[in-house]
Amino acid sequence: MANVLQLPVVPTSLLQGWTPPTASKKSVSPLVERKLLPAGPAYLAHVRRQVHNLSFEDIDKHAEEERLRLEALNGNGVNGEDDLGVGDEEESEELLIQDPKEWKKQDHYAVLGLSHLRYKATPEQIKIAHRKKVLKHHPDKKAGISVTHSTNDDAFFKCIQKANEVLTNPERRRQFDSVDPYYGALEEDVPSASDFKPAKGKDGKEKDIDPKRFFDEFGPVFEREARFSKKTPVPMLGVFEDGKEKVEGFYDFWYNFDSWRSFEYLDKEINEGSDNRDDKRYTEKKNKSERARRKKEDTARLRTLVDLTLSVDPRIKRIKQEEKDAREAKKKTKGGVPANQKAKLEDEKKKAEEEAKQKEEEEKIARAEAKKAKAAAANAAKKARRQERAAQENDAAS
Amino acid sequence: MAPKSMPNGTAEAPIEVVSAYAPVVGITFGNSFASIAVLTKEGLAECIANEDGERQIACAVAFQGEEMYIGNQAKHQLVKNSQNTITGFRNLLGKKFSEIPKDKATNSAPIIQHPSIPDEPAYTVKILQPAPAPLPATARTATNTPAASVVATPRSEPIPAERTFTVSEVTTIFLKSLLQSAENFLGKKVDGAVISVPAWFNNTQKDALSKAAEDAGVKVLQLLDEAGAVAVAISNQSTGLAPDRTQLIVDLGSSSLELSLLSLRQGLAYLLASSSDPTVGGDQIDAKLIKFFAKEFAKKTKTPLTVAPATDAQDKRAEAKLLLAVEHTKRTLSASPGAATCSVESLKDGLDFTGSINRMRFDLEVRAVYNQVYDKVKKLVEGAGLDLYDVDEIVYVGGSACLPGLDETLAQGFPETIFTPFTAGTIVGGGVGDPTTILARGCALQAQLLASLGDEDIEVKKAFESRSERLDVKATSKTIGVLFPEENASEGLGGQWIAMLLKETPVPSRRTVGFEVDLGESDSKKVAFEIWEVKEGIKVEKIKPPKIDLDEGEEEEEEEDIEVKEKTIEKEAVLGSILMDAHAAVKENGRWKTKLELQFVVNLNGGVDVGVWEAEKASNKVFVSLSAP
Repeated sequence: MANVLQLPVVPTSLLQGWTPPTASKKSVSPLVERKLLPAGPAYLAHVRRQVHNLSFEDIDKHAEEERLRLEALNGNGVNGEDDLGVGDEEESEELLIQDPKEWKKQDHYAVLGLSHLRYKATPEQIKIAHRKKVLKHHPDKKAGISVTHSTNDDAFFKCIQKANEVLTNPERRRQFDSVDPYYGALEEDVPSASDFKPAKGKDGKEKDIDPKRFFDEFGPVFEREARFSKKTPVPMLGVFEDGKEKVEGFYDFWYNFDSWRSFEYLDKEINEGSDNRDDKRYTEKKNKSERARRKKEDTARLRTLVDLTLSVDPRIKRIKQEEKDAREAKKKTKGGVPANQKAKLEDEKKKAEEEAKQKEEEEKIARAEAKKAKAAAANAAKKARRQERAAQENDAAS
Repeated sequence: MAPKSMPNGTAEAPIEVVSAYAPVVGITFGNSFASIAVLTKEGLAECIANEDGERQIACAVAFQGEEMYIGNQAKHQLVKNSQNTITGFRNLLGKKFSEIPKDKATNSAPIIQHPSIPDEPAYTVKILQPAPAPLPATARTATNTPAASVVATPRSEPIPAERTFTVSEVTTIFLKSLLQSAENFLGKKVDGAVISVPAWFNNTQKDALSKAAEDAGVKVLQLLDEAGAVAVAISNQSTGLAPDRTQLIVDLGSSSLELSLLSLRQGLAYLLASSSDPTVGGDQIDAKLIKFFAKEFAKKTKTPLTVAPATDAQDKRAEAKLLLAVEHTKRTLSASPGAATCSVESLKDGLDFTGSINRMRFDLEVRAVYNQVYDKVKKLVEGAGLDLYDVDEIVYVGGSACLPGLDETLAQGFPETIFTPFTAGTIVGGGVGDPTTILARGCALQAQLLASLGDEDIEVKKAFESRSERLDVKATSKTIGVLFPEENASEGLGGQWIAMLLKETPVPSRRTVGFEVDLGESDSKKVAFEIWEVKEGIKVEKIKPPKIDLDEGEEEEEEEDIEVKEKTIEKEAVLGSILMDAHAAVKENGRWKTKLELQFVVNLNGGVDVGVWEAEKASNKVFVSLSAP
């Protein structure tokens, strides 16, 4: 579309009872003859339109192509070379006025215009970005542009140089990456346990955590944390459908996470001016303990994070359930009884038990009776024997 | 890690940065000063300095002894070697000797009839021809000493001689030096150049100029009207001004005043009127200024000095010295509001002079020149059937136009909203509105445009020639726009007026505007407007100035009425109307609102197609065609 001129006017609503007026004139007023000045792109477009009999739309298209061509020729990178996706970032006013003395607080990536890449930026990209910024902000280029801020003109250039110094040295870059302020802010709002407190449903039962929410919240967290790993590749959170092995592998890795993160960048500066050796040693010692403390805190932080993740991971629940089901399924296939006959079976069993009980009781009674009978029989036999003996004695005596 | 040492000559040559822009230049070639502009890597035009560090290169060629001086160095020769210094030759290009007025006094080499070519103006200068080369050693005697030769031994010192140059030859010499400067700056050969010419140059003069340029080795891409160069330079910058406007170009050079009134319609420009006056210019300002300083000198040293015009030979020399010195004074005055000094060593009778002038005093001295310019501007605008209030923008061109006093003088007649480089603050520090470089920059941009055409068909390229038929164009004669009727708009047009096609818009053309419409509270959501042809005018009201209580005893002054001007619009004829339903309206604070885009396309025959649609829902379109006259 052609450039649309935006007007600030706001015409108001339709007049009540407005009727379209009848045209008081059939055509527009007659044209007058003029002589153009053969100058400028507008004239070129005018001529092209006439010569090639183009419509306004064709001209729009042509102008757009021309613009893209020129952009490709000049705009992209230095001397039209590929800039490896460094691009041009906008520089905020805040960024430009920062004090180079406070370089520890500056965001080196933002200064070099690499805030979209950060720790992912390759050394080549850093080099290109630095060159771009230097070309733009070199004090020589600023000379004479404005008289108003001549004193502090090279402040941002110093910031650029400092940023380059930090980011091109692998050790120092690692230190800065460890405490990158951009991620520092993100680390603050890692999902907490309370965020994932299982909500109570109406029936008082605990509702399951929505897997989508879980992966949305924790996925980026682990992607971020992965940059500190000494071992690569780092297993990522994955997806809901992941198998047991994968999930276990993930937790296994993250519980044994080996981080290169260090906190030298936050060291208090050793007062170089002081000759006092003890002073220096004291600060050094303090720094060392502080580093250790921070490292410990960081390890603990990660541990808590993994703990939390494990506790709310919907996959664990799913896997447990699956395992249980699998076990039972296995058992049932062994028994060869379909599950729905279980109740019946139990009933039968009960019945059988009851019957057996009854039988037993009956038997008991029978046994008791038999015993009684036996005893009675024995008694009778005894009696008979006694009577016999008595009769014998009586016989003998008599 | 220390770099490995490499034997010399093995390092690769640095990769040459290939600029996307062709090595073309823009040259403005005035009667008194010239300048060159090139395109920087960023595609911006920039006026460059020559080897002397001068951005405004004086059009002067001087001969002294064996040496030839060009530019500002030549101007200094006017003091002691005026008879061998040639100035003001541009205006004589393409003219016959009989056409040149002879009555004008000059302080440089006089124009004479060429000794061999009939009716051809020329200059004769005294030079020293370099000594001829010594004879080559030829025969040797038996003892190995040079043998006696029959030819006479040539002179060992330079021979005084006279040389005659035609105007065209002088121009060639001068343009060659400009080309050299540009090539030195760019570091490569110049592919082509656009040279500016004044509007009053006729075809013979243009031919003469292009011939001189070709002789100098400049490939002329186009001879561009100065107004055209301004239009290119101005349209390339974003000023926040409407793309359709009326522009006044005030070119106050050192030798003449040229005024042009342009109709700029989205970059397409044509002259509404133009005028040229060789009696008003920086030279008049110089004359006034040196008179002022001469008076001061006479007062200080009790040495009589009459300048402008000077009669005595000594006075003439003093005048030339003063003229060189006030150049600096003028520049200081335009740059800063404080006082500017003028110092000349040994002005007359071995006496030095140092004087100073502040801006107020200076404006007082040259008020007459300013007023002359103002009168000319008024005459020009009135001659075009317009009012000063119809002018939207003033562009200044030329060194003398840098003077803030000129802008102040002109401002009294124009509306307060007028856009000038002074109000925009772009006059100093190499700003876009810098009058001394604007022409050259415009020419450079035009050269770039022409160079970028490459091998596109000849017909398009031909259209840039000054005699092309494509320059003839038809333009609308009445302003057409749309009127949104409003309920409580009792005065004026009875609604919101949006001018779509201003008068003097070349056809074919297209205008598209976007705006928000308030559809009211009702749910009918209808938009309606009328298409009108209107007449624009200026209403002049005379109001009595507010009475100031004067102290008793003071004389009651005659109170003059103050003229208050106001732009007016009068409905002339309704051409049609459009009623449409809004589909993409959004309710905001209880009122329906929608964004509309309105497009007017004028065809070649003058018919207008009006289209309107909603910005959010382009399918909801309504079209109306207005028939051609």
